[in-house]
Amino acid sequence: MTYQHTHAAGRRTGTSSRPGGRSAAPVPPQVPARRGPGGRRLLAALLVVGLLASVLPWWLDTPAGSLRSTAATLTAAGRISGLVAGYLLLVQVLMMSRLPVLERWIGGEQLARWHRDVGATLLVAVLAHLSLILLGYAGLRDHSVLTEAGVLLRDYEDMLGAFLATGIMVLVGFTSVRAIRTALPYELWHVLHLSSYLVLLLGFGHQFSNGAQLFQPGPVRTGWIAMYVLVVAALGWGRVVVPLRFNLRHRLRVADVVAESPDTISIYLTGARLDRLALLGGQFFRWRFLTPGCWWQSHPFSVSAAANGRWLRLTVKVVGAHTADLRDLDPGTRVWAEGPSGTFTAAHRTRERALLIAGGSGITPIRAMLEELPPGAALIYRARTPADVLLGRELDWLAQARNTDIWYVIGSRDDPGPRQVMSPDGLRQLVPDLTARDVYLCGPPGLVEQSVRALRRAGVPRRQIHLATFEL
Amino acid sequence: MRRAFLAITGLAASTTALVVLKGSPGTSQVAQEVPAGQPVSPTPAGSAPPAAESPAPGATPTGVAGSPRPSRSATKAPASRPTTKAPAAPRTTTSKPPQPTTRRVTGPIVENEYGNVQVQIVLSGNRIVEALTLELPSGPGETERHSDDVRRAYNGTSGQVVRNQSADLDTVSGATETSASYEQSLRAAIEQAR
Repeated sequence: MTYQHTHAAGRRTGTSSRPGGRSAAPVPPQVPARRGPGGRRLLAALLVVGLLASVLPWWLDTPAGSLRSTAATLTAAGRISGLVAGYLLLVQVLMMSRLPVLERWIGGEQLARWHRDVGATLLVAVLAHLSLILLGYAGLRDHSVLTEAGVLLRDYEDMLGAFLATGIMVLVGFTSVRAIRTALPYELWHVLHLSSYLVLLLGFGHQFSNGAQLFQPGPVRTGWIAMYVLVVAALGWGRVVVPLRFNLRHRLRVADVVAESPDTISIYLTGARLDRLALLGGQFFRWRFLTPGCWWQSHPFSVSAAANGRWLRLTVKVVGAHTADLRDLDPGTRVWAEGPSGTFTAAHRTRERALLIAGGSGITPIRAMLEELPPGAALIYRARTPADVLLGRELDWLAQARNTDIWYVIGSRDDPGPRQVMSPDGLRQLVPDLTARDVYLCGPPGLVEQSVRALRRAGVPRRQIHLATFEL
Repeated sequence: MRRAFLAITGLAASTTALVVLKGSPGTSQVAQEVPAGQPVSPTPAGSAPPAAESPAPGATPTGVAGSPRPSRSATKAPASRPTTKAPAAPRTTTSKPPQPTTRRVTGPIVENEYGNVQVQIVLSGNRIVEALTLELPSGPGETERHSDDVRRAYNGTSGQVVRNQSADLDTVSGATETSASYEQSLRAAIEQAR
């Protein structure tokens, strides 16, 4: 999978990116205006209000003091968790709808983190709903739980679908546990994860045929259906209409594939109207290369150069079957891209100065962002060996052009040098005004975790730390 | 993941809190203990025309009298949902001499978690000749079916109520709560009638 020689990377014998790596933009990139956290907070507040609103019907429907028996109490708790789960499922799907508003205000990385946390909560809520309702109904009718499960499946409408949906959800949740997910091939995991749309479909019916708050026609039922319609519309808009418009407009194609290091390639893309592409350095696209072997997979990669109106570039480390195939892309290959998304950009800074910490191929979004950050940034670049340093010449140029301090910290994680630098004291020594800077981190999870810990101990507020982990 | 744990814990705690808040015995508990005398139809409350001698069951349930019965609408505020109305002065037929003609006596609305139950009995003298329900829980799936079971078992001119001539009924299997509420409403109606 990895290369023996630099020359073997890519079919072209050319090595590394353009000489000097100078910005290809006709005018130097502008520092983008700051985007405050207002939009994100507003959306988060809206989501919480929605959660409260979805439980409200139960509260209004249930007379005070009516929960006298244990069974009735269990059933009531089951209804609440059902309403919560129904709402969270919609939130989950909405967060993955790639709706431009969400991508812009919350950002792909943040959405992915919320998706993971809400996902775990949703799974627990669904299992709680299932078991509480089973226990509650069984208690009310003096059945055993198993008998009651049989009754539910046999006598209630749409319950078979609901049980299936639960099964799928458990499977999806289980395979999303980090240890299991990393053990699975990405493609298999992704297909499994996409099956959660089935949950939306299969779980739909039982809410309306059996939901105590939803079975009667009325404002609650109408509102609930409206939420479904809105979420499906958001999906259609974000996943179909917006990408279609983007790709018809820009018509991206592979221009060249070059080797950056023994195991890293850069793919250059050209297209139409790239001068009107609203791309910020540090953002990523989800790329689909339309070749017979690759078209069905979509992978997120950061763009490794700021927008210049002429070409796009992504720099990719060859780690799996898909990335290995990318070496053999022919110039002219059509590319379907979804994006740009991400809040790992200069526009999301909270201070005027920044410290960037990159590990290995994590340099790519940071390289792009450096062009747009205000001058005076500092970069710590962790790499295992000197040969692992990517885009070195471009970084040298940026050091001059953007007045950036760059430290290359080479060696294994356990070597004394890197350990000293990546400690709170080491960081403070390199960058004395650390706490007055935004810190952007991109690299392997181990490095990111270690750095965040060191930064927090050195006194950097959490909201000044930006992570580029898009785990999808 | 830490946020997920927080979220799960928070949701579990608030669900428990909600259930506990709703479960705490409110005024309704007390109200239900009182065999509330719901006004019977021959003497509707002042505002209603006395012509309504025998209202068609279902069409004009006893809600005409007293405060309007709250509908099972989701938008209703919980505070305004009295479970059982206990009018201060039950206007019952007991004040009248028993008439040989049939009369109708309506029991109170008894609420359980599936919905409301209200029983009306038709008496000829002191004999129950028919039992009917003005209200039974209607709901999804089994709720509806169980209400049907209850209706079939107890109601009508030859149902258990007429056969037993009392509120001692066999519980309909699977519909324990609704059966119990039925008995409660029926018992109150019978007490009123005597």
